[in-house]
Parts: sequence; C-alpha cells; structure tokens
Amino acid sequence: MVAVSPPAPPSDTLAASVALAWYAVRSNYVLQRVVKAIVTVFAVATLTFFLVRLMPGNPIEQYIGQLIAQYGLPYSEARDQAASLFVIDLDQPMYLQYLGYIGKLAQGDLGTSIKSQGVKVTTIIVAFLPWTLFCVGISLIVSFVLGIVLGAVMAYWRGSVVDYGLTMIGSLLHSIPNYLIAMILIIFLGVRWELLPVVKMRGSMSPGIQPGFTLTFVLDVLFHATLPIITYVVTTVGTWMLTMKASTTATLEEDYVSFARAKGLSDGRIRTAYVGRNAILPLFTQFTLSIGFVFGGSVLIESIFVYRGIGQILVSAVSGRDYPVMQGCFLITTVSVVFANLLADLLYGYIDPRVRVGQ
Amino acid sequence: MTQGFTSGVRRRQAIGLAGAVLGAASGAIPATALAQYGMGAGKAFNGAWPYDMPPTGHYNSYATGNLNLGIYYDLMEMPLGMYYWATGTWMPLMATSWETNVEKATFQVKLRQGAKWSDGSSFGSKDVVNTFMIQKLLNNVVWRYLDRIETPDDYTVNFIMAKPTTTVERYVLRMQIRPSAIYGEWANKVRDIVNKGLTSDSDEWKAVRKDLSEFRPKSQVVSGPFSIDQRSMTEAQLTLVKNASSWAAKNVTFDSITLYNGETPTVTPIVLSKEVDYATHGFPPATEKAFKDLGFRILRPPTYAGPALYFNYAKMPAIAPKAVRQAIAHAIRREIGAAAALGESAEPPKFMAGFSDRLVEKWMTPDQVAKLNRYDYNLATAESLMSGAGYKKGSDGVYVSPDGERMEYEVTVPAEFADNSALAQAVAEQLTAFGIKTAVRLITFTQLTPDTQAGNFQMVIQGWGSGNPHPHFAFVQNLVTWNTPAGAGPAMAYPLIQRVDALGGEVDLDAMVTASAQGLDKDAQKDLIARVALAYNELLPNIPQYERLGNNPAPEGFRVKGWPPVGDPIWENSPYADSFVIMLMLDGTLQAI
Repeated sequence: MVAVSPPAPPSDTLAASVALAWYAVRSNYVLQRVVKAIVTVFAVATLTFFLVRLMPGNPIEQYIGQLIAQYGLPYSEARDQAASLFVIDLDQPMYLQYLGYIGKLAQGDLGTSIKSQGVKVTTIIVAFLPWTLFCVGISLIVSFVLGIVLGAVMAYWRGSVVDYGLTMIGSLLHSIPNYLIAMILIIFLGVRWELLPVVKMRGSMSPGIQPGFTLTFVLDVLFHATLPIITYVVTTVGTWMLTMKASTTATLEEDYVSFARAKGLSDGRIRTAYVGRNAILPLFTQFTLSIGFVFGGSVLIESIFVYRGIGQILVSAVSGRDYPVMQGCFLITTVSVVFANLLADLLYGYIDPRVRVGQ
Repeated sequence: MTQGFTSGVRRRQAIGLAGAVLGAASGAIPATALAQYGMGAGKAFNGAWPYDMPPTGHYNSYATGNLNLGIYYDLMEMPLGMYYWATGTWMPLMATSWETNVEKATFQVKLRQGAKWSDGSSFGSKDVVNTFMIQKLLNNVVWRYLDRIETPDDYTVNFIMAKPTTTVERYVLRMQIRPSAIYGEWANKVRDIVNKGLTSDSDEWKAVRKDLSEFRPKSQVVSGPFSIDQRSMTEAQLTLVKNASSWAAKNVTFDSITLYNGETPTVTPIVLSKEVDYATHGFPPATEKAFKDLGFRILRPPTYAGPALYFNYAKMPAIAPKAVRQAIAHAIRREIGAAAALGESAEPPKFMAGFSDRLVEKWMTPDQVAKLNRYDYNLATAESLMSGAGYKKGSDGVYVSPDGERMEYEVTVPAEFADNSALAQAVAEQLTAFGIKTAVRLITFTQLTPDTQAGNFQMVIQGWGSGNPHPHFAFVQNLVTWNTPAGAGPAMAYPLIQRVDALGGEVDLDAMVTASAQGLDKDAQKDLIARVALAYNELLPNIPQYERLGNNPAPEGFRVKGWPPVGDPIWENSPYADSFVIMLMLDGTLQAI
C-alpha cells in the first residue's frame, strides 16, 4: 500500500479525465480492488464464452445423438428433426456471437436457453439458485462451526486420544469425495438397511407441498435438504477441523499466550480472548471464499440427490451444450467467488487490527 | 400402500429424533399431501424417465425441453396407432382403420368417432391435419413424401403422396396428434405462409418456427388416458393422473402413473428399493445382477440395433479388399465381445444381413437367407482369405498388405459407455491375436459423432441397424449415415458402387437403398431389400458385433401384475419405438394389483 504520486495533469480534457480516473483508482485501495474484480469477471466471461464452444459437439449434434441413442432414429431423420427444432444460428462468425453476448451482458442480459427456447437464463438461475444457496449455505455454516470447535478441541488436547481420534476422522473425511459419501448414504442407509426413506427424500420438496412461509413447507424443505446437507458437512468438516487445529496449535505457542498464562489469567479467558480469536483469523479468508463457492452449488451432490439447484441445471446444460445456460452458471460462480474474495480483502483489515495498522 | 406410508412417516419422525435438527422437519409433513400426490395415489404404476422441471421443462410438445416423457407420451397425446413388431399388425388408437389406394397414391385414415379431448372438445380430422401442418413447418421427414392432406369429413383424412412409399404408413400412424384447441392457430399460421408460396428458407417461415419454439401452453389438453398433474411435479418425481374423458381410460386399470426423474445412477437406488415397476435405463451388468438377486424379472426387448466395427477406408487402404473384411469377420468370435459388453442383453447376429435377425425371415425368402454367409468363428478360413488376397505376416506376426501396409491400427470408442469399451477391448485382443495389431483409443462420447463424421478414426465402434421395422432404415444407417455422401465430412469414405458376386456384377448400393423404401409394392421392396442384404453380407462395409437387447427390470407383485410370459410376441416390440408397456396398459393386459 505504497502511496502513489499524482501525475502531472495533461492539457487535453479527455486525457485529463482519464488520468484523473486512473489516479483515483491507483490512490484508492478499495477502488483498485473493485476494478480488478470487474476485470477478472470480464476475463472469465470471455474465456468461458470461447471454452464452452470448444467443447466437442454442439446443441444440435448432441440432440441428434440423443435421438439416435434413445429412440433408434436413423441419422437423417434425427438430423432433420433436430435442425428444425433448434432455432439457432451456429454458423454465425464467432466474433459476432461474442460481441452480441458481451453487449447483452453489459445490460445484464444473459441470453436465452437454447434447449428451452425463449426462456431467459436469468429466469432459470433465479428459479434454481435459492435452493443451492439454502442448502450449501446451511451446510457451510454447520460445517464451519463444527470444524472450528472440534479443531480447537484437538489443539487444546493435542497428543490425547481425543486428538488422535478426531485427527484420524478429520483426515479421513477430508480425503473422501462427496459423491462417494452421497452414494454410501443412499445405498447403505437407504437401500440396504432401510434406515432412511431415501426415495421420499429425493428432490427439494414433496409432491403437492405448496411453497410459502408455512411451517409445513419449511419443515418439508428441511427434510429434503437433510441428506445433501449431511453430505456437504461430512465431506468438508474435516478440512475446517484440521486447519483450525493447526492454527490453534500455532497460536498456543505464541509469546502473548505464555505471557497471559504467566499473568495467571484463567484458562477460559485465554482460550476465548487470546487463542480462539487469533486462531480463527486464518480461517476467515477461507470461509469467505467458500461463501463465494456456495453459489456454484455442487454438481455431483445435487445430481445424486436430484436436488434442485445450480449444479443440477449446469449438468443438464453441459450435456445438452446449452451454451447460454452454461455461461450463466459459470458467470454466477465467478462473480460470487471474485466478490467474496474482494469482501475478504476489504474486511480483513477490520477484523485483524495488525493488518489495518500495516495499511 | 397405507401401511407403507405410515411406516414412512414414522421413519421421518425417527430421523428428526435422531438429533439432526434438519431431519426433525420430516415429522410434520402432512400425510394428505403425500397420499394425494405421490406414491400410493390409488392404483399406481411407477416408472422412471428423465425430465426437466419448469422453467426449463414445458408443455409445448413441438419444442425441445418439453415434458413429453418418452414412451409415456403415447398415453397423453395419443398417436393414431401402435405397431406389433412380431405380427406386423397395428393396435388402432386415435385411428380405427386405414388403407392405401395404390392408383391414387393415397393413404386414407378413418378416425375414432366420439373421442374427446380433455377440455371437452371433439377429436377429429382437423386435429390430424393441423398436427401435420405444423410438422411441415418443422420439416418432418413425412413431408418428403407427401404432397397434401385432405379431409373429406370430420373423421377421414387423406394423405396424398408426391413420392409414394410404404413408409408413409408408419410415419402417419405413429404421429402423436395434438389438440387444435392449443395448436390450431399455429397450424393456421403455417397455412398462411405455405399459401404464400414461402419455403423453409424464408425469413417469415423461420420467424413462425421461432415463435412456435417459444410458445408455452399453460397446461396440457390430452386425448389419452393420462395427463400430468402439475401440482405433483418436483425434481424427483411427477404423477400422471387419469383422464376419465379419454376413450381409452376404461381399458387402463391404473389410476395414476408416477415417474421418477433421473438417469441410470439416480434411478438405480429407487429400483433397488422396489419402488419402480419398469425402467428402460441401461443398467450395467453388476446392477442387473443385484436386481436378479432381489428376484426382479429382467425384460430383454430387442432394439433392432447395436454396435458395429466401422473402418475408415481413406486411412486403411489395406482394408479395401472385401476378403480382408471377411477374414476379420471370421477371426472375431462375436460372442466374446457381446458377453463382455452386456452379458445376456447382447445378441451376436447370425445372418450378418445388415438388419436385425428378427426381421430377416420376414423380408427374405428361405432360399435368399440360405445364401447369407454367417461368418462363424474360423481362424483357418480367416487366414486362408488373407493369404488368398496376398497378405503375409511379418516376423512380428502382424499382417502386411501386398502394398507394404503394416496392419496396425486403433479402434476408437467412447470412454463413458462401458459396454462399448468392453466390446472394443475384446475386438482389439482378438484382432491382435489374429495378426492385425489393434489398440483401443478412448474418447469422450460427445466427440464420437464429430470425429466419425470428420473421418478422424481408423476403426470405430458405431451403431448399425435401426429401430424401425423397415430394413431400409438399417441400411441407411450402415451404409449412408457414416459415409461420405450423407455427412458433413468424409466419415468412413466407403465407395457405394461395388462389384457384388452374389448379384452378378457391379451395383450402386446408394440407389438400391433409396429404392428399397420407394413405391407401394411391398413385394418389389422385399426383392430390393434381399439384394441389398446379399450385397452387404458379401461386402461387409462394417461388421455388426451384436444386437442390443434391453435389460429392463420389471418387478412383479408389488403394484403390477400381468406381464406376459417369455416367448409372447409382444416382446418382439422395440422398447422405445412401440413400447410394449404402453400397449399392455392400453389393452388391459398389464394390470394394477
């Protein structure tokens, strides 16, 4: 955060305005970060646009393949059917398609779905995103809280049976992929042992339940979110536990903790005011970034539990090469991660006074 | 079902009590909601089919992303008829009779009188002609052969052919008829642009097509015995409820059909939980074994298609002599690949005629069938054919062509399809052992079609045969689809003018295949089909490895009874083209318990 000297003001008015804007950006940390975030989003949106089109096959070819595989149609018939159903011009030069996309994006228009023509991508995202935010958001909070409590416990009683046991569990959970946990829950708890009604728990709500601010609806939604949330928590809590343990252990070695002990402060006060507060700081950035990833949902978990969400719609869009929907989903994730990162940068100084002093 | 539901609620409460605050929610879900909309609604049939929820999914059956629900679509917007593949006869649905007038090149259909749509309006010829008008907008293949459609009265429709062909019968009778109440105005728009003399290249035509694709009816109007209950729809399942006003409603003993949403991985646990009465998903052999262990019956309907070994003639000059391909056919024990791929659900072809063995004796005389070389596994014959063509093995045991081409190749296969990968591996091992060194090249499945069309392969596992009872379509698939004249690229680049000893000279295969579906004289078509089959059998432009059968779990005794025994002619039906499940429901054979 080195201060930058203002450049000499140019005589030309436009140039002067640009120079002033540039100076304003260079001299303001917050503005700098915001501009960087916007540039990052633009770059990712551009890359995404071209990358999705580099994927093998286009929406029409995918649909032809589907008709042949699923209904055994002859190629020529499938091709005619697909060509007439998709009202898109894939032969338009790529740069024109790109300019059209960026132009609309600047106006907040993410385009319309190719697969479900006429339906705006924003409509689809608005319909699916809240479910992802609800499910992954709750999971993140539960996992984070559980992880820091257990991590602190492991650090305080390091070397004990509790530490070894929890470390082993944390490492194990940290290393198992979420889709495997999801399948284990379904196959063993649901199918083999019949402990959970997994068939009724599929989806995000029960048939016939009317959405609204009613107890019935809220409880039903929670019922259906149980398995996805358990899966998220189980597969992420290990990471929080191990990180918190490492951070707390390091903090316990700090001089100011020894000094506090020498002063005769109570264990409780040392744990909360001296150790806990400082140990949690490194996790703050990680937590904020995780908030960003909440918007991306989880492709595998939502697919396995047939849970309504961005992940599920992304799978469908990728398999059908629905470019605008794919771009919309990736953009949402990008924007949320970039701005979560920005938020972490901006808030960190307020949380850690040492950084603020440094600034 | 009441008992099952009660235990379900108790289990929900148990989850809550277990401490998961989230799970506690389950206890308070009103029983009425589930009983009314989910499993247990009257006499239910439970199936599975993937679908998209709104706003992506919708009720416009002419647009992509619609909620047509695959085979179950025939129970909603009913077609004119469905086909019995074993007997070559039809089950009349919205049509009651039909005939072809050869002299007038007209296919006349008499419609069911007294049939009603679910909105109370009468079904009639206007609905049929409107449906086909919109199909004209969409360039449906039937309009390659039709000149115009006339409706002499409310229950008669005449399809006048510009290019007479027997295939029009199936195109017309299998068409699901849409209600004029919803689509009538669109048919009028098409009439307007057709009357103006516009074609599908015109802007106005494209604009109507675009508008139609964006049209979203608020609800369904159906002629069949079921319609989607919108309130029942979730990502997990939806329920089709009985449409009592349908003429077919009285034949069907089920009150509702619940369809679970999802592809194979997500549907498998539901099948294992005994909540699905029939599923068409392609289950892997290990899952199939689990179904069998539970006592489920596995139905194996023929799909009339399967994987074949295709060659790229532009990249493998050594494969050009037919003797080499005949040798390869003799050198591969097709049973090995079939068993590795799909176990009992893969049936190696006996006749190697280019279309399903099940159809061969319907289209060819015994004398013609006797002329077909069955290419039984015989290494001595294979080696003799190779040496006869001048091919010799090098010191490493790999064949070298007379032009010096060492026969070392790759066979391309989609990595995600475990059955095709296993087949490719079996083929590669056998060819390598024979002296044609072959490696398996795995690519992602979405790359397969573009790569095949572009000719980016040496050998590839691609489809042969077709889910259409007329062999013409199988030959189109085998000879034209992945070949230079049809595709965007060179594909297999096989010349279709060939000398065929069995036919006594040079023939134009493309012309023969095209002609095999033309005209209204089925005997003449049979003669052409037999000639193409003999040519295919001799030339083997590609080598069919097996015909794929379904492996559809159909657990009996939970909610459903009446599945016909093994050997019943209905099992000859293609599971997608003319679903036997739907036909068995409609004729009352498949019943609710």
